[in-house]
Amino acid sequence: MKTRSPIAAMLWELWRVTRAEAAWKQALGVVVALAAWLVFAAFAPVWDKGTASLVSISLYMPHIMGWISVAGLNGGRPGFPLYLHYTRPIRTAVMVGIPMAYLTALSCAIYLVSAFLLRATSGYPFSVLPAAAWVAALALVLRAITWSTRSMVVLMLGSLVTLFAGGPAIGSRLDSFPNDVGYPLTDYAVMALICVFCFGVTVASVTRQRRGDSQAAIARTPGSGLREWLIDQFRFPCPTSSATWAQVWLDLKFNGLPVLTIGVTLAIVILLSSAIGNPIDAAFADELRARASCVNADCFAARAWPLLLTPLSLVIVLGLARNAFGIRRRQGRAYMTAFEVTHAHGTAQLALLKVLARSVCVLAAIIAIGVSAWISVPLLGDPVFIQVWGVPLNSQRPAITGAVAALTRYEQLSLLVVVAVGVVIWVAALAVFGALRTRYSRHVNIAASSLLLSGLALALLALGEHKGIVSPFVFGAIFAAARWIVLAAIVFTIVYVFWSGFAERVLTIRYASGALATSAAFGAAWLTVMHMAGVQLAGMSAMNAVSILSPALLPLMASVLAPWSLSRIRHT
Amino acid sequence: MADTVVDVNEISRSFGAKMALDRVTFRATEGKVHGLVGANGAGKTTLIKHLLGLLRAQSGSVRVFGRDPVRDPVGVLGRVGYLSEERELPEWMRVDELLRYTQAFHPTWDASYARELLETFALDPSKKIKELSKGMRAQAGLIAAVAHRPALLILDEPSSGLDVVVRRDILDAIVRTVADDGRTVIFSSHLLEEVERMSDHVTLMHHGRVTLSGALDEVRRGYQRSRVRFVEHFDQRPVLETALVMEGGGRTWSVVHSGSLEQFHHSVLALGGEVVESRDATLEEIFLARAGRGRQQVEVA
Repeated sequence: MKTRSPIAAMLWELWRVTRAEAAWKQALGVVVALAAWLVFAAFAPVWDKGTASLVSISLYMPHIMGWISVAGLNGGRPGFPLYLHYTRPIRTAVMVGIPMAYLTALSCAIYLVSAFLLRATSGYPFSVLPAAAWVAALALVLRAITWSTRSMVVLMLGSLVTLFAGGPAIGSRLDSFPNDVGYPLTDYAVMALICVFCFGVTVASVTRQRRGDSQAAIARTPGSGLREWLIDQFRFPCPTSSATWAQVWLDLKFNGLPVLTIGVTLAIVILLSSAIGNPIDAAFADELRARASCVNADCFAARAWPLLLTPLSLVIVLGLARNAFGIRRRQGRAYMTAFEVTHAHGTAQLALLKVLARSVCVLAAIIAIGVSAWISVPLLGDPVFIQVWGVPLNSQRPAITGAVAALTRYEQLSLLVVVAVGVVIWVAALAVFGALRTRYSRHVNIAASSLLLSGLALALLALGEHKGIVSPFVFGAIFAAARWIVLAAIVFTIVYVFWSGFAERVLTIRYASGALATSAAFGAAWLTVMHMAGVQLAGMSAMNAVSILSPALLPLMASVLAPWSLSRIRHT
Repeated sequence: MADTVVDVNEISRSFGAKMALDRVTFRATEGKVHGLVGANGAGKTTLIKHLLGLLRAQSGSVRVFGRDPVRDPVGVLGRVGYLSEERELPEWMRVDELLRYTQAFHPTWDASYARELLETFALDPSKKIKELSKGMRAQAGLIAAVAHRPALLILDEPSSGLDVVVRRDILDAIVRTVADDGRTVIFSSHLLEEVERMSDHVTLMHHGRVTLSGALDEVRRGYQRSRVRFVEHFDQRPVLETALVMEGGGRTWSVVHSGSLEQFHHSVLALGGEVVESRDATLEEIFLARAGRGRQQVEVA
């Protein structure tokens, strides 16, 4: 490659770093657009404002998440991620401006493509230019916050304030000008001012980081980052009695307990926001009535927070379940540290310990959030739930409690087993995906894209069948074939990985027996839960029965794939 | 005869189009210090990673203590102490946590030896790894690698980051202690003087191949550096049998050559010259002769 200027070289570097993520974001935007169109077209030929808002939010989401590939250059730490440029002969303004402009333009372009496609397919007048401009401004503000500080706390607070204060404000501005007609130039001027301000702040901050003036300018400076801070809070000695306990200590301290702490903190925030929601809403009741139309004469704003926070917290905790194997990513390189993989652990044992340690903490965090949400229900009262979900949840609490209490011990245990093993499967699946993506990145990308496209094709067929374009027989045959193919793929994967794992001595008889026993227990629990849900296998077609039972194979697949995939990155 | 601890047989490994190891055979025997020497990209670290099971051999076989390190990581790594070139240690751990964690994997852990080394290096056990300098990290990693008195100690560029005093006195002492206990050391280094000082056996790697391997004394005896004077004036290098590198001009040339000295004398005599003086070549001279540009120039000439 021959580049003629530092700017061209930087743009080339940025393109190489972000191209896969840009493709995924674009694909997600298009898939979300088409999926939304398919789903809503089946039930509501004409989109209402609420539907359009939901779809719009899903289009904004990838840009709110930021650029993971760029953040990964710095191991996800706050601060300027392209720090390798510090030693290059370029001005800080250029060093900051080029990536900022590039990422902002890319976000904007991705949104525009998705929005145009959605406009064309749904016929709904989605905002194009103003929304794209706001997406660009929001992306730039978030980049500025991430790059300007080395403190995770400042980063989190800044991002939350931007999203929760800026998001609704932007939404209301866009709602005021449907069809983008007459969108005021003052708004564009405000966006331009925000961008210039953010650019200036970022350049000043990165200059300090570049010169080492900024606090914690070096990534390894002690005390930087929320994770390090959380790790420091758990001071219990590493057991030396056995290698297993030492590994559990490492995984709990470094991976598990920080996740649990975040989960418990979120649970406390949900509870507190529920507790203070009523007095706040009461204090601002008149103002709320003046601004919004309230159902059942009960206006609320603060009490909406717990409702929003609960699913968001679950998503955060489930997201933190990723990378149980502790794969590091830095400057485009993904690897496991030699320190961990050169200790005398069997690969199957290492994978099991890592997945279990993370799963236990994720499960505990989910339980904490669930308990907090459950306790919060009476604090919020029925009107909130009726208005949001159409369900008087508070009044139904005793009924739900009674229904759970009415279950037999075995049924309660089955429910618990399904949830617990489900979390383990989730953690293992994310770990396996991360490991395989590290070792076989191109193959995994192709496989994931193929799966996505297949799902999209099936969804299109379903819509075609619903509209009468595709014959039900043809759709039924293709759908049945797809189900058999998925099942065959699961069985083939299990058999192959078992064979390969034993041939390479990754799997041991003891481990395999444990995996089979766990899977059998999960299978029994799954059947019980299905029975509780009213599913009767008797009289069901073979296809449907197999489909209902197929999740029982997932624990077995996860338990053999986890050590096998870890072996792929441990012994490359 | 000493037992073979490491037995690498004809292994090859490529990364894309680059051949990192090309039919490499390497053996390490018990109680000896084996130095791996070679330029950057010669394949030293790749070979070490095969010994640890971090890389699978694409062809050939690797046996450490008679076991395959990929198939039996517990059996092999339980008896190995390893210091990586990158000094990859968990940054969030304190030094004492690092040592306790490592201790859990090794029942043979010698706590008093670990304490002694901590004091020797003047390392604060309550300090976090990320607070340590590069040299201090190397010291912490070295303690974790040697305190369980491993049967095989593998050090990848151990001198990197260590100051001269630590390198010459402490590292040498540690390595000699391990070897004197009848255990085995394999270490890679760019520093030829260090390899020469510490090793019993030396293996020279170049472009993924082993170009020279043997006991250090034998290797050094096999190469001489001689000063040669001719009656005739040579504008270009004279062709001398067994010569690997020739420097100089006109009538006087300095030659690094292999084989017997007598054979070389005959070769010089045949061109009307005489050997003024001869001595055993240093490892650096041998390395440059076998891997450096000099050899190519001789071959071209």
